Amino acid sequence: MFYSTRSKLIASFLVVSFLVGAVSLFIGGQLLYKAVLSEATNRVRLDLNSAREIYLTRIKQLKCPLSITTLGFGFLSALKRHDAPELAIRLRRLAQQAELDFAGIVTKEGTTLCRMGPDSIPKEGIQAPNPIANLALKRRVATSGTVVLSEEFLSAEDPELADRARIQLLPTPRAAPRAEKEELSGMALAAAVPVFDKGDLLGVIYGGILLNRSQTIVDTVRDTVFQQEIYKGRSIGTATIFFKDLRISTNVLTPDGKRAIGTRVSKEVREHVLGKGKKWTDRAFVVSDWYITAYEPIEDIFGERVGMLYVGVLEAKYADMRTKALSVLVLIIVAGMLLAVGLGYILEKKIMSPVHRLIKAGHQVSEGSLTPEIGPISKGEIGVLQNTFQDMVAAMGRRRAAAENRLLQSEKQASVGRLAAGVAHEINNPLTGVLTYTHMLLRRKDIGDDIRSDLQTIVESTERVRKIVKGLLDFSRQTKLDQEPTEVNRLVRSTISVMENQALVKGVSIEFNPGENLPMLTLDRNQFQSMLLNIIINALDATEPGGSIRVSTGVSLSASNAGKKGVEIAIADTGCGIPQEDLDKLFDPFFSTKEVGQGTGLGLSVSFGIVQRHGGTIRVQSEVGRGSTFTIWLPVDERGGEHENIGS
Amino acid sequence: MKILVVDDERIVLDSCQKVLEADGFEVYLVPSANKALQAMKKEGFGLLLVDIKMPEHDGMYLMREVKKKWPDIPIIVMSGYPTTNTIEEAVKMQAAAFIAKPFTPDELLEIIRKVIQKEENHESKQSPSD
Repeated sequence: MFYSTRSKLIASFLVVSFLVGAVSLFIGGQLLYKAVLSEATNRVRLDLNSAREIYLTRIKQLKCPLSITTLGFGFLSALKRHDAPELAIRLRRLAQQAELDFAGIVTKEGTTLCRMGPDSIPKEGIQAPNPIANLALKRRVATSGTVVLSEEFLSAEDPELADRARIQLLPTPRAAPRAEKEELSGMALAAAVPVFDKGDLLGVIYGGILLNRSQTIVDTVRDTVFQQEIYKGRSIGTATIFFKDLRISTNVLTPDGKRAIGTRVSKEVREHVLGKGKKWTDRAFVVSDWYITAYEPIEDIFGERVGMLYVGVLEAKYADMRTKALSVLVLIIVAGMLLAVGLGYILEKKIMSPVHRLIKAGHQVSEGSLTPEIGPISKGEIGVLQNTFQDMVAAMGRRRAAAENRLLQSEKQASVGRLAAGVAHEINNPLTGVLTYTHMLLRRKDIGDDIRSDLQTIVESTERVRKIVKGLLDFSRQTKLDQEPTEVNRLVRSTISVMENQALVKGVSIEFNPGENLPMLTLDRNQFQSMLLNIIINALDATEPGGSIRVSTGVSLSASNAGKKGVEIAIADTGCGIPQEDLDKLFDPFFSTKEVGQGTGLGLSVSFGIVQRHGGTIRVQSEVGRGSTFTIWLPVDERGGEHENIGS
Repeated sequence: MKILVVDDERIVLDSCQKVLEADGFEVYLVPSANKALQAMKKEGFGLLLVDIKMPEHDGMYLMREVKKKWPDIPIIVMSGYPTTNTIEEAVKMQAAAFIAKPFTPDELLEIIRKVIQKEENHESKQSPSD
């Protein structure tokens, strides 16, 4: 069953579809993944640009209200008077409108005049350094950007601010080790604008927002860039601001749903972005999920790399896209394989059912039937096979019939032969007596003419019996062939010359058309000649005066013996012909159409025996009233015959 | 001349007797090979006419026996069933001639005369050397 054509067909279909499927799955999967990944990476790179824009816009937004404030007349005169309480009120109003976390005024000497926090008018003494204001004083131009603010500065501004800035470092896998347990400094966006009065520098107004635990920038990025896209209950896009490698402002969530403030970036990213100052775009494991990420360094107002800006999209969405596409592909492949099985099954049935019928028919033939059922003839090669099979069976039938015929013929001959031998032996002794006594009587002088005439009749009749018995004996005698290489044309010609006189007397013409390049044959010349004579005498007997006998020779292939090479001798007459019903009996012993006393009915039978013993065949074609053709075919002894021919 | 005819068929024996006696031969008839050997011990024959197919011992046997004791007596072989084999065998046994049954008196006499002629020629050729 496993080796059946059906299984093979189905298996080959399956293998092909599986291979094609597997290859396309593999290549398709890879290509698809690369395409999706590069698409996602490109998107994230663009998203990072947008995030940076938002970050920088926020910085610009700080400078603007501060600059406008310096232009106010009340503000200028209050600053000129160093009216701290008045300025503090103005600062608070400004901070409220511009949403500042801190703001203050520093004199041109660098001491803080007032600020918006609880300790709004500081006492004289040591003050924490104010990096942004100092830079503005030094440069005498408006300055803005990212600044790192110390704990002292933050506490001085507002103790609450210092509290907000304080972030505990959470243990993060794959992050670079850090000694401290807490980050006390803060990272802020700040601006400082110098205030001039008719060219004289009066001081600097500064303000800013603390990024630690701030949500505005990262959420703005999420809401505008990613448009609050939600995938499986989670925001697809995330943004984070790092202070050094620490998440201080983020909307990346921990598994329990809190913002992942206090976790840190992996060591790899830290080295690449903070260390080398390069951008990073790749898939990365962020807190608890795989993201397609982009990082870039943040530089502070002094050009130092102090932090990083990050955006990332959940990889799950793209991975799921890929999985979905792949599963569709798998589905198609499975469907293809099912189709292959079905197609194989149907095709096998269509192709093989005539073949199965042929196999069955073959069995029928081997069981002896010559009319097997092969069903309707199909188109194409199978049909050719079916037709060939039919032809083959028909040919087998014909050959079997011919073989049976031949067998019957030789059996007939053998049994007649045995009978003839017995009869001949028994008859010859009494015949000796009859002949002797009759002849002895004839020698007597004292008998009358009438008795002599009667005795003469006895002698003649006995002679006839003797001839018949002799014929029987000739027929039964399986005499050995005394074969020698013979030139067929010469033998035929000499046989014809024997008959020429007789034909001339009867008024029948005999022609001979010798074939060219005949091979030599190994024949018993005497027997062969008597066989030819017999057939020519028969032809002469059958032909009326004015008719003709044509004898021809030629090289021919056997019709019955699969193209074996041989020589044909055809004797055609224009005689009375042989009726169809007599053709089958023609070579039977004792079959004769001649009048009683004219033939023994053994001549053709003996001729048949002679030709058969030479390995040849005799064919007869005849039409009543038009004549008969006897065709004798003799095989060429390939070794001897050909050689002799070349030799001669 | 004495001729011994050996055949199991009465009619053949009678026929031969009739023909040969009419021609002046002295004819002895026996129906079997054993009888023939017995007769030959008693009489001296100039010629044997032997049938091949006989019951008990056939003509071939008889020829062998005769050739052992009387190698000079010519033997003519008769047969109603002359196959190539039997003729070949007879020639091998140095039969002087072969005649197929049935035969006419003239045919028989012709063969016998030929054999006697041959024997005489043979003897006359041999005698000077004796």
